[in-house]
Formats: sequence, structure tokens, C-alpha cells
Amino acid sequence: MSRGSSAGFDHYITIFSPEGRLYQVEYAFKAINSTGTTSVAVKGAETSAVATLRKVPDKLIDASSVTSLYAITDTIGCVMTGMVADAKNQVQRARYEAASFKYKFGYDMPVDVLCRKIADICQVYTQNAEMRPLGCAMILIAYDEDLGPCVYKSDPAGYFCAFKACSVGAKQTEANSFLEKKLKKKSEFSHEETIQTAINCLSTILSADFKPSEIEVAVVSKDQPKFTILNEKEIEEHLTAIAEKD
Amino acid sequence: MASERYSFSLTTFSPSGKLVQIEYALAAVASGAASVGIKAVNGVVLATEKKHKSILYEDHSTYKIEKITDHIGMVYSGMGPDYRLLVRRARKMAQDYLLMYGETIPTSQLVQRVANVMQEYTQSGGVRPFGVSLLIAGWDASVNNGSPILFQCDPSGAYFAWKATAMGKNYVNGKTFLEKRYDDKLELEDAVHTAILTLKEGFEGQMTEDNVEIGICDENGFRRFTPEEVKDYLTNIA
Repeated sequence: MSRGSSAGFDHYITIFSPEGRLYQVEYAFKAINSTGTTSVAVKGAETSAVATLRKVPDKLIDASSVTSLYAITDTIGCVMTGMVADAKNQVQRARYEAASFKYKFGYDMPVDVLCRKIADICQVYTQNAEMRPLGCAMILIAYDEDLGPCVYKSDPAGYFCAFKACSVGAKQTEANSFLEKKLKKKSEFSHEETIQTAINCLSTILSADFKPSEIEVAVVSKDQPKFTILNEKEIEEHLTAIAEKD
Repeated sequence: MASERYSFSLTTFSPSGKLVQIEYALAAVASGAASVGIKAVNGVVLATEKKHKSILYEDHSTYKIEKITDHIGMVYSGMGPDYRLLVRRARKMAQDYLLMYGETIPTSQLVQRVANVMQEYTQSGGVRPFGVSLLIAGWDASVNNGSPILFQCDPSGAYFAWKATAMGKNYVNGKTFLEKRYDDKLELEDAVHTAILTLKEGFEGQMTEDNVEIGICDENGFRRFTPEEVKDYLTNIA
């Protein structure tokens, strides 16, 4: 196959480059890292947890209105990483899809079906020139009756998969190495261990101890299938438990 | 959302008469994970490599080999998200055919329709070609008391019927290997064995039931092997 030179537009819209790559999709991944935050999700024996940094860009902003954690349904929640406006668009779409599914079919949309739907929508953006890929990635967590605790990630390429643990964002390589090491030793985490692994991962890769107001944590579990965002007091308890273990 | 479409095609002829976007799409396919299809006397086997990039991925949460109807299945090499769109369309087209004619869709008819979709994306406004090549395996019960069929669909929309073929990484070696090993009297069991050996040629690392997917199509229909069944076949080749 001859190595032709591109027509020049392969960097601007989602058409193929001579090597068969989609540059716009690759650039969308870079946009996710541009915000500088990292999000982590971990699955345990009966619990799934997500943790992310809370970066309030300005002291004058009302901190309670800044969040990356969103409930899609009562039992499915997500953490969004990347460009805020694109993230909000994707969350709204996910909420619509989940509600539409419930209306049409009469039962709650399973998290794997929702993730597939979001990923299919992302794929359309990689194939149609008039819409750019979104600069955000979505990690969904839920407790499913059949699948147990779930962590699903969908990215701008339209790829999705279930994970035992995953991370997205500026420091995802370090976070993934941390999680791989942890999972090699043990894969069935208890409720507390799941949450603390997620928080510990963030603090290790950022080499910092947090105040409870600097991170956001959310949990779903068998006992509490409702997507719950932990308040500062609960985060404080976990941080103390981690500090005591060391 | 997509109401304002580009009114011109992005896939246009180069001065030498080539459609370069399609060639680039084929490059995307050739860099994808290997897959193999072999037609035997009593069935067709599809096999593919499915390596996850890290141990954090949950094996068996997504599949590459998908059933389209009870008697047709397919696998791909190339871009996963593009494949999912084609699986969806193929399933709907099969059901439309059943609704219209009251009969299950013959494999060649499904292949023609899927290939037509792929061709549309090389000519329509504002879209790029699919970055996948498909292997579609089917069993036609009405022909000769039942006969196996294997087709390949390219990003260009061209389709070919094969006795045996390989796609994706290392496909040239795979095809050479198959040319030597194939014979018309192959039974399905031996075909599965040969498919695994073909994948093994270019496989980096150890083949396990978690990084290989196998599906067969015979007179009982199309089905994907469970990890246990794949494990049995893998121990037999060792």
C-alpha cells in the first residue's frame, strides 16, 4: 500500500489519515486531559465507588455547584472527566436515554445497555464530519441484580468496556499502574476497602493528602443500590481510616 | 442533531483514480486484531484474537463475535465502535426481511445489504468509510440440504465468498498458512483446530480462553463457544 500524503483535512475532521488513524478522535482524548483532573473507579465484591478531584476554578464560585458526579437514574451514577460543557451534554443525553428506555420497555435500563448506547452515540460523532467527537469520558457505576457491582467506561472513540477498576484523566497512566498492582494482590474488596482504594489511588498519584472538600466520592452497593454522593463527614471518616492504616 | 449534513462526499477520487479514504480505511483494518474464517464441509468457524490492554478490563463483558440471526454470525477486524453500528443494522435488516417475506434471510442476501450500507458511507455526504472488514458466516438450510457459507465485506462495500481467509494484523501470513492447510473435505472440528493454529502464528504471548473468541455455524445454527469450550480446544493443540 503506497504511503500517500493526506489531503490535509484529516487533522480537522474525522476522516482517515494515510495510516488509518482518526486524528480528531485522538485529539479529543488529549482534550480530556486538558482539565488536569483525574477520576478513578473501583469495583469490589458488593460495591462500586468513584472518586475524583474537585477543582473549583475561582474562590468566588459557589463550591457546592461545582461537581463531576452526576446521577443518571436512582441506581446508576457517573463521573465525568474532561470538558465541562461536553460532559453536561453527555449526562443529559444519558438521562434522557435511561428515562426513555424505562418509558418504552417498562423496566430500569441496565447499566451495560446504557453504556453501549452512549458509546454508540460517540461512534456516530467519529464517523460524521459535521459533528466533532465530545472531549469527555464517562465512567458509569451501578449495582446490577444480575451482574453485581459494575464499572463501565465509555470514551470519545465510541469504545466501551466493563472494568474491575479504571481511571481517566491527566494522570491515568499512574492511576492505572496503581490499580493494577492493587488488583494483582487482591480482587475482592469489601465495602470500605473499595472506597478507600479509590481515594488512596487519587492521593498516591497526586502525592497529596486531601481535605474532604477537595475530593468527591460516590458509592453504590448491594445494601445501598441508590447512587449516593458521600458528604464531607463521611469522606473525612474514610480519610482518617486510610491515615490510620499507614 | 444531524439535520445539517455536509452535502458533498469526503471520499473523492485522487488524480490517479484511487479513492484514498477507502485505502486508508483498509490500513485501519490491517492494523486491527487478527481474525480468521474457515468453511468446512459441515459448518463454518470464525475465530478472533481479543486482547485487552490491561488486567483491569473485565473479560467477557463485550464480544467481537456476534450473532445476527439464529443461523448467521459475524466477526470483524478493525475499529470496534464502527462494527457495533453494522451489527445493529444487520440485525434490523434480517428482521425486516423476515417481516416482509416470512422467511429467514439467506446469508448472501444479508451480506449484500450490509455491503450496501458500507458502500453508502463511501459516497454519502459528510461521512467517512467504516474502519472494519467483516467476516459473515451462515448456514443456508434451503440449499443442498443445508450448506455453509463464508463472506468477507470490505470498507469499500465489496464482498467476496471465501473457503478460508484471514484479516487484520499479519493477514498475509495467515492466508499463506491457510492456503497450505485448507482442503475441501475439512470437517468442522478440524476447521476449528486449523483456525486456532492460524491465529497462533501471529499471536504474541499465551493463547487462553480469555483472549480468544470462537464461533461456529452449522445445521444447528450459529453459536459462540463458552470460555470452557475454547479452553478444551486450546488444550488439544498444545
